[in-house]
Amino acid sequence: MSRISLKVVGAQGQGINSVGEMCAKGLKRAGYCVFGYREYMSLIKGGHSSYQLDVSDTPMLSSQTSVDIVITFNHHGLEKNIREMNERGIVIHQTSDWEFSEEDALFVAKKKITVLHLPTEDILGKIKAKPILGNVLITSVVWALLGQQKDVLEDLVREQFGHKKDLLALNIQCIEEGFVFAARHKGALKAALPKADPAWSKHLLVTGSQAMGLGAVHAGVRFYSGYPMTPSSPLLTFMADLQNETGLVIKQAEDEITAAQIVSGAMFMGTRALTATSGGGFDLMSETLSLNGILENPTVFVLAQRPGPATGLPTWTSQGDLLLAVHTAHGEFARCVLTVSDAQDAFDLMPVAFNIAEKYQISVIVLTDKQVAEALYTQTPYDLGKAKLDRGLLITDPKQLKKLQPSDRYDPAAKDGISPRWLPGAEAATYAAQGDEHDASGTVEESSANTAVQFQKRLKKQEALKKSLPEPELYGAKNPDVLLVGWGSTKGPVLDALAMLGDAKVGYLHYTYLWPLQTDHFKKLHAKAKKTILIEGNYQGQLGMLLAQESGIVLTDKILKYDGRPFFVDELIDIFQSKI
Amino acid sequence: MSIPLSPSAGQPSMKDYSCTTQCTWCDGCGDYGIWTALKRSLVELKLMPWQVLLCYDVGCHGNMSDKLQGYRFHGLHGRVIPFAAGAKLANPRVPVIAVGGDGASFSEGVGHLVHAVRSNYPMTFILHNNANYGLTLGQASALTWQGQKMNTSPNGIPEHTLPSMDFIFSLEPTFVARAFSGNIPQLTKVLKAAIEHQPHGFAFVDVLQACPTYNKFVTHEYLLEHCKEVPADHDVTDFTKARALATDTGKSIATGILYQNKSIPSFYDRLVPRQGKSTTTVDEVKITDVSSLMERFR
Repeated sequence: MSRISLKVVGAQGQGINSVGEMCAKGLKRAGYCVFGYREYMSLIKGGHSSYQLDVSDTPMLSSQTSVDIVITFNHHGLEKNIREMNERGIVIHQTSDWEFSEEDALFVAKKKITVLHLPTEDILGKIKAKPILGNVLITSVVWALLGQQKDVLEDLVREQFGHKKDLLALNIQCIEEGFVFAARHKGALKAALPKADPAWSKHLLVTGSQAMGLGAVHAGVRFYSGYPMTPSSPLLTFMADLQNETGLVIKQAEDEITAAQIVSGAMFMGTRALTATSGGGFDLMSETLSLNGILENPTVFVLAQRPGPATGLPTWTSQGDLLLAVHTAHGEFARCVLTVSDAQDAFDLMPVAFNIAEKYQISVIVLTDKQVAEALYTQTPYDLGKAKLDRGLLITDPKQLKKLQPSDRYDPAAKDGISPRWLPGAEAATYAAQGDEHDASGTVEESSANTAVQFQKRLKKQEALKKSLPEPELYGAKNPDVLLVGWGSTKGPVLDALAMLGDAKVGYLHYTYLWPLQTDHFKKLHAKAKKTILIEGNYQGQLGMLLAQESGIVLTDKILKYDGRPFFVDELIDIFQSKI
Repeated sequence: MSIPLSPSAGQPSMKDYSCTTQCTWCDGCGDYGIWTALKRSLVELKLMPWQVLLCYDVGCHGNMSDKLQGYRFHGLHGRVIPFAAGAKLANPRVPVIAVGGDGASFSEGVGHLVHAVRSNYPMTFILHNNANYGLTLGQASALTWQGQKMNTSPNGIPEHTLPSMDFIFSLEPTFVARAFSGNIPQLTKVLKAAIEHQPHGFAFVDVLQACPTYNKFVTHEYLLEHCKEVPADHDVTDFTKARALATDTGKSIATGILYQNKSIPSFYDRLVPRQGKSTTTVDEVKITDVSSLMERFR
C-alpha cells in the first residue's frame, strides 16, 4: 500500500470542508481511494478545524497522524500543524510575512519541508473574484501540485456552478490562476501520488451517515423523525434532503422523547420509521425503548456515539455507549444491538436491522460513532440485489385477518414467543397494545401466573434471536497466534495496520452483532491463540466486559483509547509492533 | 337520535365496542361518561372498531384502554400525543384519537401538547380534566385550583393554576371544544365534530369531569350548575370571541364547540413530498431501489 495524506486546516466557516470535499471528489474520479476525516469543535465559526484526506491506490479505511501536505487558511495552521508534517512535506499558507519560531524553523529545515505562500487575496483581487472563490483557487493549487489534470477539476466546478454562467467563468479563471501559480513554483512542488487505478473512479464517495441513510431508504424506511444532536444530525439532514425525491415523511421533533415516540407510533401503524440520536438524546429515549419492550413493537434506533458524560466532546468520537445500548431502559425485555463499522455495513445493516426488529418484534439499536458518521469513504456501489424484506409474522392477508382473535396478539404459547402482529385499520379482531402487564389480548392482568408467562414469552424471543445471529467475523490469519478483538469503527484502522504490517499470524475478530452476544467462535479462537488483545475506543473495555459476562473469559491485554480521537493507522502499527 | 345498540349488517353498534372487562373507576367518576360518549360518537360516525386507533396516556383515564374495543394503545405517562401523531402521520386514513389527563398533559407532557397544537397534527385529543392526579392518589396537577389542600400539599398548593384555555388559544389551535362528562349527548356531539376535524388538523377537547375521591372543589354538582351550552349564535370561526368565551369562567363555563378553523392545512397536508400521493407510508414499505440516489455520490 502506498499512501499520502493531505490536510486542510483553518477556522470553521472558512471553507475547509468545501476544499476537502472538492479535492476528495476530484481524486476519487482521477482513480484513487480516498479516506476523509474531519476534526472540528462545537462552534459554527472559528476554532481550529481540519479536513484530512488520506489517498491511496489500494483500499484504505483510516487516517494517519502525520501528513504530507498541509493547506492552511490562517496562521494557526502554521503553528499547530507544522509538527505533524512528514519529511519533505509541503505547506501552502496564505499569511503574508510569516516567520516560524526558532524551534519550528529548525524542524522545517531538518525535515526539508517546503513552505509556500499563496497570495490568495492578491490573485482574487486581480481577477475581481469574491473571497469565497479562494476555495477553488486553493483546490486548484493542490490539484496542480498533485500532478492532476485540469479538466477533472473544471468538470467538477461545472457540475456545481454550470447554471450560473458568470460564477462559472470566475471559477474557471481561479483554476487557471492556481495552475499558473503552481507552474511558477514547479521546482518546489512535488507530491508523489501512487499510480492511479481507474477502477476507483466508478466508486461512490459517501460519509457513513449518507451510507446509512441510503441503506434506510433501501430498507423501506418511509418516515424519519429526529432531534438535532451531533453526530446523529448528518443523518437527519441527509434524510430531510432526500424527502422530495423519495416522498419520505420527515418530522423534526421537539425533543428526543418525541422523536422516539413518533417513530414508535409510526412503526406500530405498520410503516418503517427511523430515528437517530447521540448519548444524551438516547438517555431520553430509553423509557420509550422499555415501552416498546412490553408492547412488542418493532423499532430501530441509531445511537451515534460521542464521548460523554453529559455534553462531553460533542464533535469527537467514542465507543463508550456499548453498555448503554445493551442495558439502558427499565425492566427485562429482549433487544438487539448491532454496530456499523464503515460505509459498507452502514448501508447493509439497515435492512437487516428492520428485518430483525419486525421478525422478533423488538427494538434494534444500531451503533455508529462520530468517526463513521462523518468520515468520507470511497465505496463500491451498493449491491441492491442482496436485501430481502422480512416482516416476520405481520398479517395483512384479509382471509388470515378474519381468523384472528384478540388473544392471538400476545399469545404466550406462540413458537419462540413470537406471536402474530396486525395493524390498526386492518379488518380484524382488535387488541390493546398495552404498556401495563397484560394477558394475550392486551387486557391488564396482574396475576402471578400471567405475569410469569408473559415474561417468558417476551424473553424467549431473545434466545431465538441469539440462535439466529451470525458469529463475529475473522479477518487476517485463519488460525491466529495473536487474536485482536474489537467492534465498530476500529475495524478500518486495524485492518489497514495489519495489511501494512503484513504479519501472517495476526487475526482480527470483528463483532457486528453485539447483543445478544455470540461467544463460540471467540472461545475457540482464544483457546488456540497465544495472545488475545481487546481493542476498543473506550476506557473500560466494554466489549471485554460483555465477553467476560457471556463467556467467562477475562481479557487482560487491552488497547483502549478514550481521548475523543479514532485509532490512527500509524499509531496502531506502533502499538502492534510493541505488543505482537 | 337513536343509537344502534345491537349489530346490524355493515353498521357498527354499541355492542361492537363493548368489552367484558369490568370498569374499575370510582363510583361517580367522570370517566364513565367520557367512555360512553366516546363509544357513542364512534358508532354514530359509523366507524367499526377495527377502523380506529385509540391511544391512551397513563392515569385513571388510561384504564379505559381495555374497557372497549378498537385498536388501542396504552403508553407512557405524558407521551401519548407524539405516539398518536406518529401513528396518524404513518397512515392518515385511520382516525386517531389520543386521550390524556390534566396531570400528564399539562406537566410531564406539556411540551408535546404545545407542539401538537403548533404542528396541527391531523388527530383528536381528549383531555380528561379532573384537575388532579387521581391514579397516584390525589396530588395537585397544574390545573388544580391554587390553595387547595391536596396529597403532598397539606398547606394548600402554592403554585398558581395554569390558565389552560388561554394557554391553548395562545398556540393558535384549529379546533377547541369544552364539554362536561355528565352531559353525554353534548359530549358525543362534540367528540364527533372533533373526530371529523381530523383532516383539518389537531382537535383539542377539554372534558371537565368530577373526581369524587380527590377533587373537593370542582364537583359533579358544581359542574352541573356552572356548565352552560355556548349561545346558539356563537360564531365558532371568531377567534377573539371564542377565546374570551373559553377563558371567562367566572359565572358560568361555556361548553360546546368554541372554535374551529378549517382553512389552515394540517401538518400532513403541508408536507411537500406527500402532495398528491394516494398511498400512505404504510403502503409504501418495500425494498427500494436507490440507484438514482447513489448517482450524486459518483
